[in-house]
Order: sequence, then C-alpha cells, then structure tokens
Amino acid sequence: MVTNGQKRKNLITYFFILVLMTLLVLWLISHDVDSSWHQAGLTNLSLGVLLLTAYVCSRILKIVKLPLISGYIFAGIIIGPYVSGFLTVDMVERLRLADDLALNFIAFTAGGSLQMKSLRKLGRSIVLNIILLTSVVFGLVFFFVVFSGRNFNLTDDLTSVQLIVLAVLLGVVSVARSPSSAIAIISECRASGKFTETVLGVTVAMDVLIIVFFTFALTISKIILTGSGVIDHHVLAALSLEMAVSFILGGILGKGISVYMNRVGHDLLLFLLFIAFGATKVSAWMSGFMEYHFHISLHLEPLLICMSAGFFVQNFSKNGGYFLEVLNRMALPIYVVFFSLAGASLSLEALKACWPIALCLVFVRATGIFLATWLAGTISAAPPVHTRHAWMAYITQAGVAIGLAQLANSQFPEIGGYLITIVLAVITINQIVGPVTFKVALHRVKEARGD
Amino acid sequence: MKIFFALLLITFLAISGYHLTFRGFRLPLFARKFYFTGTEFLFLGLLLGPQFLNILDEQTCAGLEPLSALLLGWIGLLFGFQFEIPKLKRFPSEFFMASIVEGLITFFLVFSGIYYVFQFSSLPLISTMSGPMKYSAALTLAAAAACTAQTGLALFAPGAIARKSSTIRLLQYISGIDGLSAMLIFSLVFLFRPSILDGNSWVNVLGRGTLVTGIAIAGLLVLYLLFLTQRREESELSLVVIGMAVVTSGTALILNFSPLLINFFVGFCLVNLTREKERIFNILNSVEKPVYLLLLVLLGAGWEINSLWLLVFSIGYCLLRATGKLLGGFFITYLGPKLRTHPHGLGLGLLEQGGLALAILFDFHRGFSCEMADMVVSIALLAIIYNDLLSSFSLKRLLKENR
Repeated sequence: MVTNGQKRKNLITYFFILVLMTLLVLWLISHDVDSSWHQAGLTNLSLGVLLLTAYVCSRILKIVKLPLISGYIFAGIIIGPYVSGFLTVDMVERLRLADDLALNFIAFTAGGSLQMKSLRKLGRSIVLNIILLTSVVFGLVFFFVVFSGRNFNLTDDLTSVQLIVLAVLLGVVSVARSPSSAIAIISECRASGKFTETVLGVTVAMDVLIIVFFTFALTISKIILTGSGVIDHHVLAALSLEMAVSFILGGILGKGISVYMNRVGHDLLLFLLFIAFGATKVSAWMSGFMEYHFHISLHLEPLLICMSAGFFVQNFSKNGGYFLEVLNRMALPIYVVFFSLAGASLSLEALKACWPIALCLVFVRATGIFLATWLAGTISAAPPVHTRHAWMAYITQAGVAIGLAQLANSQFPEIGGYLITIVLAVITINQIVGPVTFKVALHRVKEARGD
Repeated sequence: MKIFFALLLITFLAISGYHLTFRGFRLPLFARKFYFTGTEFLFLGLLLGPQFLNILDEQTCAGLEPLSALLLGWIGLLFGFQFEIPKLKRFPSEFFMASIVEGLITFFLVFSGIYYVFQFSSLPLISTMSGPMKYSAALTLAAAAACTAQTGLALFAPGAIARKSSTIRLLQYISGIDGLSAMLIFSLVFLFRPSILDGNSWVNVLGRGTLVTGIAIAGLLVLYLLFLTQRREESELSLVVIGMAVVTSGTALILNFSPLLINFFVGFCLVNLTREKERIFNILNSVEKPVYLLLLVLLGAGWEINSLWLLVFSIGYCLLRATGKLLGGFFITYLGPKLRTHPHGLGLGLLEQGGLALAILFDFHRGFSCEMADMVVSIALLAIIYNDLLSSFSLKRLLKENR
C-alpha cells in the first residue's frame, strides 16, 4: 500500500524528471541539426523522451486512479505537433515503424487472449452485441448527420447527396473500436471474467468485420454519388480473398511460432519481433508486388495475420499460456510506444475546427452504444450490472477508424476532407474518454484484479 | 522499402546467428573459432552491403542510424558497467595498473607507427588527408588496437585452463580493462573533429567540448538517478533503461559526440552510484549478443576492400599491434610481485581483438562517414580477422609455456 507521503514524494520526483527532461530537450534542440547523423540523434532523442515522458505521465495519472494508457496518450499529445511541437508530424511519421511493430504485438495479444472454449460459451451474447452495436450505432449516427448536418458550420455547404454519403461513411466509422486500447486496459487491470471476455470477443471480431462493412459502405456511397452502378462482386470477392489469405498466413505463422516454442523455447520475444516486423513489411511488399506484376490488388492485413497467429498459438498448441506470459513481459514498452505515438497523432487542430459536431457525434455514438449493449444484455439475460456498464467498454476508437477515413478520402475527395476532420476530432475525444470509462466499467463489474 | 527488408534480414540474422554462434552449435575445430567470435557476421554484412547485394546501401545505412546509435550506446553502457570500483578493488591494484600500462604501450606504439606511415605515404587517399584527419584516423586505429577480447578462451579444454588459472584470470582482467585508456583517448577524436577544430584553438575546443559533454553527462545521470529513486518492477526498469539509452545516444549525436563514449561514462557513474546496478546490468546483458551481432553486420556493410594496399596496411597494422601487445605483456610482468609469477609472453594471450574494438570502429565510421573512415574500418577489420586466426595459436602456446 502506497502512503500519501510516498505519493507526494513520487510526485515531486516525477515533477523534477519532467523539468529536467524539458531543460535537456530545450538545450539540445538549440543546436544546429544539419547532417543525417544529427537527424538520427533527433529521432532517438524524440523517441526516448516520448517513452520516458509517457511513462512518467502514466505514473502520475495512476496516483489519481486513471488508466496508464491515458497517461501515454496525454504525453503524446503534449510532446506532439499541436502542443509543444517537439515531435513534428514528419517525426511521428518516421516513428511509424515502431508504431506498426507495437500494433502487431498487441494483435498477437488480442488473438492469444481469445479462447475458443469461452468464445463458444459466449458466442450468442457476442453475436447479439455485434449485430446491435453495428445497426444501432450506424443508424443513430446516420440519421443524426442526415437531419442535423446542415446546422454545423463545417458541413452546411454540402449537397443533400454528399451529406447522405458523409452520413453513411461516418456511421460505419463510428462502429469501429480500438482493440489495442481494450487489450491494454484489460492487461493493466488484470481483468478476467464473462464481461471482459465478451468485450474482448466483440471488439476483436468488430475489428475484422468493420473492413467488410466499410467496403459495403464505400460501394453504396459510390452508387449514391454517381447515381448509377451496381454492387461490384469483384470487390467483395477480392476482400474475402484478402481476409482468407491473411487468416491462412496467420495460421501458418502461428504454427511456426508454436514449433519454435517447442523446439527452441528461449528468446521468444526476439523471434516474435522478427515475425511482427516480417508480417508488416511482407504484407506491404506483397501488395505492391501483386499489383505491379499481376495487376491484382491484394492488400494483406498484418493486424489480421498477427491476430490469427496469436489465436492459433492459444487454441491449437500447448503453449498458449507461455505465449501470453512472454507477450505480457514486453507489454509495457509496447503500450508506451503505441499509445504515446497515438497521442502524438491525435489532431487537436481538427478538434478545434469542428468541436461542436464532434461533441454531438461522440454523444450520439455513446447513446447508440448504450442502447445496443443494454438491449443485447437484456435479451441474453446478462447480469444487470453488466448490462448497465457495458457501454463504457466500447467507447475507445483509434487507428482503424483513421485508416478507414483516409481510404474514403482517396475514394471521394469531394467529401473526404470533411470526413477526416470530423473523424479525427471524434477519435481525439473518444481516445481520451474511452480508456477511463472502460477502466471504471471493469471495476464496477468487479472483474478488475489489479490497479 | 529496402530499409525495412534490410532491417528484417539483419534481425533474422541476428536471431539465427545468436543461436548458432552462442548456443552450443558444434562445428569442426578449424571453423569453430571463427564462428565463436561471430566473425562470419562481418562477412554477411559485407555480402549485404554495397560491394555485393547492395541491400544495406548508403541510404539504408543512413536510415538505420538511430538503431546504430542505440547499439553503440548499449555497448558503451555495458562497458561502463564493467568498472564497478568495489569489484575492481577485489583484484590486486597491480592488475589494474598492468592493464592500463599494457593498453597505453600498445596504443602509443600503434599510433606512432600509423601516424608515421600517414605522414610519409604518397598514396592519393592518404596524402590528400588533412592533418587533423590523419590524427583522427591514427587515434582510432590505435584505440582499437589497444582493446583485447577473450572469447577464444572458451575454446580451450577446461584442463588446460585450470593449469594456468591465475594467468587466465589476469588475461581476463586485462582484456576487460585495457580498453579504458584507449576509449578515453578515443574521445579526443570526437572533440577534435576537423570541422570543429577549423580555425579554433585546440585549448578552446577541448575546453568547450569537455564542458558541453560534461554537462550532458551530468544531466543524464541526474535523470537516471531520479528514475531510480524508487524500486521499480522489472518491466518498468527495462523501459527506463531502454528509454535512457535512446535519449543518451540521441544526445550524443546531437552534440557531435560519440554514443559509445557518452553511454560509457553514464554506465560507469551508474554502476558506482546506484543500488539497482545488478538489475540494470541483467537487462543490458540479456540482449548483449544480438546487439553485438547486429553491430557486426552493420560494420561489415561498410567494409570496402578496393585496393591491395589495404591488405598491406592491415598486415602492417596487425604486426604493429602484436608487437605492442607482446611488448606490453612482457613489460607488465616486471611491474609488481604479483605479476612476476606470470609468463613473460603474456602478450601472446592478448592478441584477440573483438567487441570493444569493433564498437570503436563502428562509432568512428558512423560519426565520420567519409572515404577515409571507410579505409580505416577496412584496414582494422582485416586485421581483426588476422588476429582472430592468430590468437588461438598464440594463446595455445602461452598456455603450454612454463615459467
């Protein structure tokens, strides 16, 4: 038990650390940075300062019982391009590799946390939640944008057709969640139980399904905007193929990991690092290769590959427990890197530009989530405490939603700008509020075992 | 995309090589020495580099500079952690003195020889070099020459080692310490960079460089100690160590200084000031081998054997170093009563030139990326390979020698 005196002492120490780091950074950035050697130094300094500041912020927030990832995100926002400007947009982009690697590690954990036995047991509840969350959230956001879009400065010059397309796309993006945040909070709270497993199952499954929903939404939007055309079956076939190949590749990698664990056993972290890195880069390379040589558009999802690899190790080998244990050992640096970079990527500029519509959308989305989870809980006869608090677990949103908005931007440049600005603003709010509400929910349903 | 594939490949090589090289992989005796020191990774680097496959081309290597700096920083921290004063005091003080003296004798002999050659050589690359650049190159080669590795001992039968256990202990001690003086002198290479020296008096440059580096080290050390004021969980401590190593390396690069040296100073202070030294050392040590192998691959990529003169220079360098080590080894056996019991040919056991020398070369290569740096690295790498081949025979001879 940490006493108040110790807490005060820790706070003072953290304060001095932050002051010293600020002075060091101010001193160092006053030097000329001209060669590539200096640039490398600046990259290292930024990454190091980001890691340490995020860690310190998370410890400070822990004292007031806020989730650690809120601290990481907060540090990212402070160091990022919109507050202190120490990390520029370009630098955040340069650190994307670390971000990708961290995300793949989180995907391993997500897949590894799904146990077939409990999924089968909770299958009905998970499916019900997915159906209701998708339909209710989509419906509410869609109607809200269609009927009140004209009342906001940002969107008042859109035509009716454009507004409908924007509503469709925002509706689908609102359905997206953040499995990485969910995994991080669950891991921090060392939570387990029916509620946790349902949330995890829903969040991970939604992460896969959202790609399908979004492809449908894109096709429908195209039809609405151009006023002609039919659903392109080739697109759907290609999408199914991509997902199938990703799953199969993930299965093969999972088998490889379990063989490695059986035969070699040690230094699994290094091996997983290699796999995570390989999955990211080979997927990107393969997309380009297939496009260039065979004119086939095959976009493999590294996230799906790693998730199914983790799922395979957990459910089709004897090493699931050890696999998760090793991943947990590395969890802290991974989460710190990933969420602090996520914080640095949050667009405060977008939030400033369209905070009224963003706030309304956050509220409408949260209402949709509450209605959907309440209905799902009531129908599946979940304990009332779960039904009351389930909505708090689904607020967080992150990278996938941004990725989808960017994709839509490339397809529909005429409304893409609006979409991206609104999505970034909504995500900024949800990513700050979501982890806090999820942690509170886990404590309220009494499934959190640690702080 | 190339940079990612390069990183992917070298990560794989580091993992697989680590297992093959350091995890009980059995090879025929003649090849074991080579594999045991990881020298094959230099060749892999050469293969991946611009000379052959060109996967690790100049642009890719520039993209990997943050990683390079971190690797150097990690090795610097580890080297600094070897200088825990209470542990050093467990050995006779003559041992410490002997290590320093032996290192300095080799350093000065090699430095004088190389500088003499550089002064009077008419080869275009050398004759066009500026005076300060000649000093830098000679200092780097001499610093790398002063360092000794002792990996080869593991290849000898335990019986042979047991018979000479006190000499082996001394050899291991010297090889851990003799790089110290070389490292400190090597820091001058960074302080007196030709670009910094240009038009400035050397006293000003030295004063300013020492002050700036000193302030940076003090600041980083205070930061480290603040993090260590409370006992942290293993994962938290790992995060702090990684974060600090990254910050320290970045600081060194921005200040035009060496990440190897700045981390060495921080490591040295830390090991003597904090109670968490054992835990930090375990974290650093847990990835030492992959770090070392990655360093070899990256160093190998910068290896250019484009002139026969390099072979001649490297043989000369190797001979100079061997002379320095033999002389140093001979001299120190007269330094004190506890050293007189050891064979005069002690230098025969100090010919191997691994880890720290490679890190010094890599540091120089990255910090001074120019044609001259390529040449220095190429000469030294060839010499390291000769020394690797030579040292097992000389060590065998020393172990058989009776006093």
